Order: sequence, then structure tokens, then C-alpha cells
Amino acid sequence: MMNEIGFLLGVKLLQILPLLLLAPLVAGIINKVKAILQKRQGASIFQEYFDLYKWWRRETILTPYTSYIFILAPVLYLLTSLMGAAMVGYLDGSFAMGDAFIFVCILALGRFFMTLGSMDSATAFGGMGSSREIYISVLVEPAVMLAVLLNASRYGSTTLSRMAIDYGHIYFTLPTVLACVAFFLIMLAENCRLPVDNPDTHLELTMIHECMTLEYSGRLLSYIHLGSMIRLVVFLVLWGNLYLPLAIPLAVKVLLGALLIGLIETLVNKMRLFKVRIYLSAAVVLLMVAFMAEAW
Amino acid sequence: MELHIKEISVGELLSEAKAFSEGGKHPLTAMFGRDERSAGGSFAVYAVFEFPESRELRGLKAAVGESMSFPSLSHLIPAASWFEREIQDMFGLKAENHPDPRPLVLHENFPQGVHPLRKDAPKEIEFIRGKHTHMHTVSGEGTFQVPVGPIHAGIIEPGHFRFSQAGESMLQLDAKLFYTHRGLEKTMEGKTALEALPIVERICGACTAANTWSYCQAVETASGTAVTRRAEILRTLVLEIERITNHVGDLGNIPAGVGFSFAVSIGTRAKEMMMRLQDSLTGNRFLRGFFVPGGTARDFAAEDCAQAAEVLREVEKNVLDLERIFAQQDGFQDRVRTTGIVRNKTARDLAMVGVGARASGYAHDSRADFGYGVYPELSLKVVTENSGDVAARILVRIGELKESFRLAFALLEMLEREHGEHRTELGMPRGEAAGLSESARGSSFCYVAFDEEGRLDRIFVRSASYANWPALPIAVQGDIIPDFPLINKSFELCYACLDR
Repeated sequence: MMNEIGFLLGVKLLQILPLLLLAPLVAGIINKVKAILQKRQGASIFQEYFDLYKWWRRETILTPYTSYIFILAPVLYLLTSLMGAAMVGYLDGSFAMGDAFIFVCILALGRFFMTLGSMDSATAFGGMGSSREIYISVLVEPAVMLAVLLNASRYGSTTLSRMAIDYGHIYFTLPTVLACVAFFLIMLAENCRLPVDNPDTHLELTMIHECMTLEYSGRLLSYIHLGSMIRLVVFLVLWGNLYLPLAIPLAVKVLLGALLIGLIETLVNKMRLFKVRIYLSAAVVLLMVAFMAEAW
Repeated sequence: MELHIKEISVGELLSEAKAFSEGGKHPLTAMFGRDERSAGGSFAVYAVFEFPESRELRGLKAAVGESMSFPSLSHLIPAASWFEREIQDMFGLKAENHPDPRPLVLHENFPQGVHPLRKDAPKEIEFIRGKHTHMHTVSGEGTFQVPVGPIHAGIIEPGHFRFSQAGESMLQLDAKLFYTHRGLEKTMEGKTALEALPIVERICGACTAANTWSYCQAVETASGTAVTRRAEILRTLVLEIERITNHVGDLGNIPAGVGFSFAVSIGTRAKEMMMRLQDSLTGNRFLRGFFVPGGTARDFAAEDCAQAAEVLREVEKNVLDLERIFAQQDGFQDRVRTTGIVRNKTARDLAMVGVGARASGYAHDSRADFGYGVYPELSLKVVTENSGDVAARILVRIGELKESFRLAFALLEMLEREHGEHRTELGMPRGEAAGLSESARGSSFCYVAFDEEGRLDRIFVRSASYANWPALPIAVQGDIIPDFPLINKSFELCYACLDR
């Protein structure tokens, strides 16, 4: 029994490590793609590692009004991201035993603590960021659930690894293509990318996710940024595993996702805050149609 | 430009101003104070109005007596509000019945009872730790405040914004500006026209040509100096180049408010091309040192003109690209339409200028109204829009850019035909005069008064942003706070223009 658990833990660790190490690279690639498309030179694709190291070394400044929640939140955010990384199952389907519902809940837990942490500083921006983040997540999470259910109904299991098993012939069917597009839209909202949120802006009044990080500094800030980068890669892996043919190497699929995000962030602008619900309803409608096509 | 001053007593100010304004037909250009006690006089309050139909500026000068106060015009002419508050701060003259008599320029750290523009104001003052200026806020259940600044996340100037919120909706915005008052007007007192010139050029980095030209107009009028035709063409050309630089920069900056990075890239690159052109034409990226009272410091050779034409054609292509991209991007149109509306009535009441006024259907343009330089020969088209929103301000800029390209090419042709001196000897300036010139943001006004030795006794500069800032809190009402950066950028107001 102990051996089994040790073995499983080992596998999980093996799963987490590459995602942990490569997440900043993916973020760097997205930034580079954007820079090239915008005719800029852009920073090196390894810039995010330098940034993380910079924040890691820097002093963390806490206002006297914060409680332990403020410190706990980034740590939990990073940990839940890592747990998500352990659950997506990309090494070998049979060992990864992530349940889709637990996966969604764990990521939501991290987000919940982030919103608490940012409110804890009692600044106007923290509260504003929390309120917007919850507004987005209330809309995003049902959509994620719907996407998961579509796959669960198809494979008869809510285990993420089961879902990722290749069925070759299903990839170019209507439901898969619809769900693939819908999941990508959801992913952009969930990870605070354009057109829902702008990760590059310095305009604090327009921010959603970044608004919550404004009071953080030093090591705590590096946790949040690393957590966000891992989340994005986790979603890219999930997207690649569930909706793109297994025959394509995972790294290629993640890279493709990164390229797409870079392209989208160059082509579109941020939408009005209250129109996010229209954007997400589009994703939900796509999923509904996918359901109908699946049943039919 | 001639300034016709009518001397009145302070008691007549209200009725005379009413007669001058004619219900807003003649916009209030500026109000400012003057300390004439050393010449045996008293304090005086000036109110200058524009009379476009006769192409003249007419001013009222009210001598302030023992009471050290004057009746506030703000109830009658809302545009007077800031000017009167500034006079209160800088001269210690009270604007009676002012609806919002809070200090404007001098913040709580400035010692009470010190009024810097009085001639006997102490040279050195010690800053204090005073009670913070009261900000206008909304209270009630579910409302809260969002303080932003004075230090911002981007590399911009200081200003404090206090938003009163109900959720994401902005109920009220109060702005506290003038953080880095430089005392430029005070510094220039006692300097000759040429000594003060570098200071005028440095009031604002974006409107150097416009500010300096209106100063030159004032000095030239005061000294009776006539400027050669070649100089007038050169000046007009450089002013249009400055307008193009600012407008393409703004077109690139506005999409940054909605994270539309592709448009930002185009605008930023085009602006840099223009700034390099400015550098090679005038020797300074910000056009400093080009305008001098009596003409221009440099002349353009044929190669300069050829290079300018080449760069302008390239930038024109970029502008047309941007126009197309903006029109095709539905997401962008959705953001800019109906956002940040300034109604026509508001624009007129606040005597707004420039793009801000013209986007609200108020065709205020000093180039057309006063026809200085060689503008009368160019049959300038004043571009206006009626919706008063961010989209309108973008469209006005695009329309003006097209017009400015046309003017610039016409001016380059005129330069080929017109040979002559570009600078004349400046006479001794005496008495008072004014100048008015249209920058990319709107008209820039300058008033000068010289003493017997040809030294500045008083200089007052009101650049375009000063007139448009008060419109911002009105424009944002009814919008949500994430739209504020976009609305703010669509006005592209300058802090340095306030911090004179």
C-alpha cells in the first residue's frame, strides 16, 4: 500500500515538475508572439524566469492592515495551480486520476482565496478586483462544467485521464470542433486574457486579475504570477488533450495554443466589462449545440 | 494679436461680462489677475473674450479696490470657475459667491496668506503640513470611493482622481491637479522677451509650437514688429507638423485604453517618425528653439522640404491604415461609441477648445476664427462631429489629420515659391498684448504686459488643456469606471499645461 502511494506521488511529482518549469516559458512565448505580430522586438522568451527571480528576491511589503489571509492567499493560489497541474494527466492516462469536478473545484478554491487576499488589503482596487474576478468566475465556471460534462457523457467517466484517451475518429466531428472552440473562449476568460482582461495593461481601473495583485510585492507576487502561468498551461494541456488528436505531441498543442493566444491578443481589444456575459454565453451556446449534435 | 481692453470698476464686472459674453456667443478665453500696486495702481482682474466675427480679443479690466474681492462670474459663465479659483490662490483676491471656492493651484502644503503672484510675495517659502483639500464625494448606502493617484502606474504626470462609485458606475469624479506648480509665470516676470522665450517653450512638451507662437504673436504686437511672409509660412507649417505629431500619437494612445495593441504600435511608430522629422527640421524633437519673436530661428532648405514631404506621405499612409482598422474593428467601435459623452451645451458652457469642443459640434478653432499666419489663404476646413463621445473625438482627429496633411503639402509648395528673410529685428515691446494659436488640443492663449524697459511685468498662459480639464468629470458621468482610462485618453489632457 505504502509503495503504491509512494509510486503515485512520484508520478504526480513528475507531472508537476515539467509544468512548473515550463510555464514561464509558455508565457514568454506568448509575449514574444505578440511582440513580433505588433512589429516590436520584444523581450526574450525567457524573460518571465528573470521576472520571477526578481520578485522572488525582493522584499515583501505588507500594509499594517492585512491579516494572515493576505499571506496565505498567494501560497494557496500557487498550490492549487500545482494540484491542477498534477491532475491534468499528460504523462500517461492510466496513472493520472484527476476527477474533472474536483479539478474545477480546486482551481476555484485558489481563485476564491485570491479574491479574499486582495480584499484583505482593504484598498479600493483590491475590492474592485475581487468583485470583478467573482463576476467573471460566476460566469466562467458553469461553462467549464458544461464542457466537462460534454466529455463525461461521451466517455462515461469524469476522470480527466479517461477523457484524454484517443478515440481517433472523433476529432473532426461537429461536437468536438464546437467544444474545442468553446473551451478556448472559456480558457481566455478563465485565465484573464484578452478580450476579457488585459494582462499587459498598467491601467489599474480596467484591470480584473491584475487588480488583485496590486498590493502584493516580492515573493508573494512571484507566487501569484507563477500560479497564473501554471494555470494557463494547465488549461492549454487540458484543451490539447480533450479536443485535439492525441497523435499530435502535447508540446506542439500547447505551443499552438500559445500562438493562438498571442494572435488573438494582437487582433482584438478588450470588451466592455458588462459584455463579458455575452461573450461567455456564446461559449455556452456553442457547448449546448455540441451537446445536441452529440445526442443526435 | 491686438487686445482691446475696457477698463471698468469691479462693481461693473458682472454686467459688463454678461454684455461681452452675449449668452455664450463670445467664449471666455481667460481670466487672470495682475498686481499693479508698484505703478500706483491696485490689483486688477482681467476677463478676455473672443470675438471671432471681428477677429479680435476684447478684455475687461476691473481694478480691485480695498475690498480685495470681485464678483464671481461662474454662475453666469461656468468657464470662469477655474480662472477665478486660480486668481484667489495666486493674488489673494476673493471671488465672491463662487460656487466652489476651494483652492485650485496651491495645495494644503502651501502656507496660508502667501500669494505667489503678488509682487511682494516672499521669494522663499516653507512648505507646511496642512489639512487635505476637501474632495467632492457622494455618500450613502452602497457607495464607496476609489482614490487614484497622484502617483500613477504609467509614466505620466501627477494628478489625484477621486471617484465616487456605486458598483462599477461612476457617480462623480473630482480631480485634484496642479501638483507640480512650477511658478513659470512668476519666474518670467522681469525678464526680456527673449529671455523668457525658453521658459515659454518648456511649459508643455506637446504644444511647444502653439504655445510659443501665441507668445511670439503677443510680443510682436507689443513691439510693433511685422513678421515676414516666409516666416509666417514656416510657422504655419511647423504648427501643422506639431498637430500631426500629436494627433497620430493620440490615435495610437487611445486604443491603449482598451488594450488594442496593434493600433497602439502603428500610432507609436508614426509618432516617432514625426518626432524625428521635427528633430531634423528644427533641431529639437519637441520643436524647441524654432519660434522666436520676429520670425523663426531656422529656415528650411529644399532638401528639408523634400524630406518632410516624404515622411508626411509615409505617416499619412499609417493614418489611413488606422482609420480603416478602427472602422473595421467592431469590438473597438463598441467600446468608443456612446462612451464619455460631452453634450454641445456643456462644451459651450465650459468654453471648451480644440478636439474636445469640435467633437461635440462646437466649431471652435482659432485658426479659422482668427486667421493668423497664412491660414486665411489655405481655406481651412474645420472638422466637427456631433455625438460628443470617444468615437467622435477619434473621428475629429482623423479628419483633422487629413486636413493637416493637405495644409502641410500646400505649405511646402508655398515655401518653394516664397523666398525671403525668415527673421526680422524685434523692436522694444511696450504695454500689453495677447496671442492665440491653435495647438493639437485646442487654442493656446498668451497675455503679456511689458514695463517701460521692455521687461515682462506679467505673463499669463492658458493652454488648451486648462480649458478642457473641467469637462472630464462631466464626460465620465454615467459610464463605468473601467471606461475611465479610455475617456481620459480621448481628451489627452496635459498636466504640465496646468503646472505653469
